[in-house]
Amino acid sequence: MSHHLFLLSPSDTPLYSLTHYSSKPSQATSSPLASNLPNLSNWSSSAFAGTFNALSGATSASQAQQAQGGAARIGGGQDRRHVIQMIANASLDAIEEVMRKDSVMYLKSVDKFNEWTVSAFVTPGNMKFVLLHESRNDDGIKAFFNDVWELYVKTMLNPFHTAHTPIRSPVFDARVRASAKKYL
Amino acid sequence: MATTSKQYKAIGEDLWKGRTEKINAELFAFTYGALVVQLIQDYEDYAEVNKQLEKMGYNIGTRLIEDFLARSALGRCADFREVGEVVAKVGFKSFLNITPNVSHGAQPPASSPTRTSMPPPQANAPGTSFTLTFEENPLAEFVELPDEALEGGLWFSNVLCGVLRGALEMVQMQVTASFVSDVLRGDETTEIRVTLVKYLEEEVPVGDD
Repeated sequence: MSHHLFLLSPSDTPLYSLTHYSSKPSQATSSPLASNLPNLSNWSSSAFAGTFNALSGATSASQAQQAQGGAARIGGGQDRRHVIQMIANASLDAIEEVMRKDSVMYLKSVDKFNEWTVSAFVTPGNMKFVLLHESRNDDGIKAFFNDVWELYVKTMLNPFHTAHTPIRSPVFDARVRASAKKYL
Repeated sequence: MATTSKQYKAIGEDLWKGRTEKINAELFAFTYGALVVQLIQDYEDYAEVNKQLEKMGYNIGTRLIEDFLARSALGRCADFREVGEVVAKVGFKSFLNITPNVSHGAQPPASSPTRTSMPPPQANAPGTSFTLTFEENPLAEFVELPDEALEGGLWFSNVLCGVLRGALEMVQMQVTASFVSDVLRGDETTEIRVTLVKYLEEEVPVGDD
């Protein structure tokens, strides 16, 4: 049972991502944080390129929600990663819709995609935390989001951290993992 | 009249409580952090930033000592050991509300060829030192040093060393103060070592140039 967390800035730039497998020591798909960056910076280009392959010839890769059907049997590894990113990206629209109507911080589940549910948390500073998960775990996820929010605020308070840049602090990473292990 | 360590603590506590103008600790930490980051951007050389922080501290210290002596009304310290006690228990307490631990270490004057040794008027020989160990550092709340700063040798709170040097110089002691370790750098403790260079002769106060 795995969870994928993405932290997005107000301009939807990915600042941090984490993959957590519960009931196992958590492993990120790319443990040195520096290598998160290549994935994240290719967000718009290769995510959709990968999705295209993964969906094996599905037509429009732009708003890929329509192409859900073809994604049912996605293989593992790289393709899976791109699908995950696509799902997270696509859920941003859903998040914004909910936010327009009703501003709370914790939006429970904004989107479903086959077996993946997307939960979101929007901070007062308009940072979006997006979590993809397979199972229901509202309380745990809410607690986890709150924890991540606190850790995020502490990182922002570091004078050496520039706002809305990728978060590379190993302390932050370690603490988020610990929190994931605790709540997810 | 020897004042005991407990009495110093009490004096420090009173001074802190009696002070009416206090500043929000977070604001203070943010301001200092922004200052250090800006210095780094301007100078781009961590050794230089350390020097500048120390200089700033020196200017602060020369003025701070007046405030301190006026409020505390303490007399001259008998020896350098007492200086350490007063600095830690009264000085830091009244300004930052922290009490670093003091450990004294005497060093034989002969083993310091780099310092000019003059016959000291008081009982302490040049080369005596004390070390302040900080459990908490209000300047460095929320701070995590990036790798470049670690490699460059930045002492984040170096302003404190300057303050000590400036303040003590105004009371006729020339000292060197420098960081020995810093938890921000991954060390176990944060320590500043203050070493007496020499006692200064009474001179006309330094004018503002």
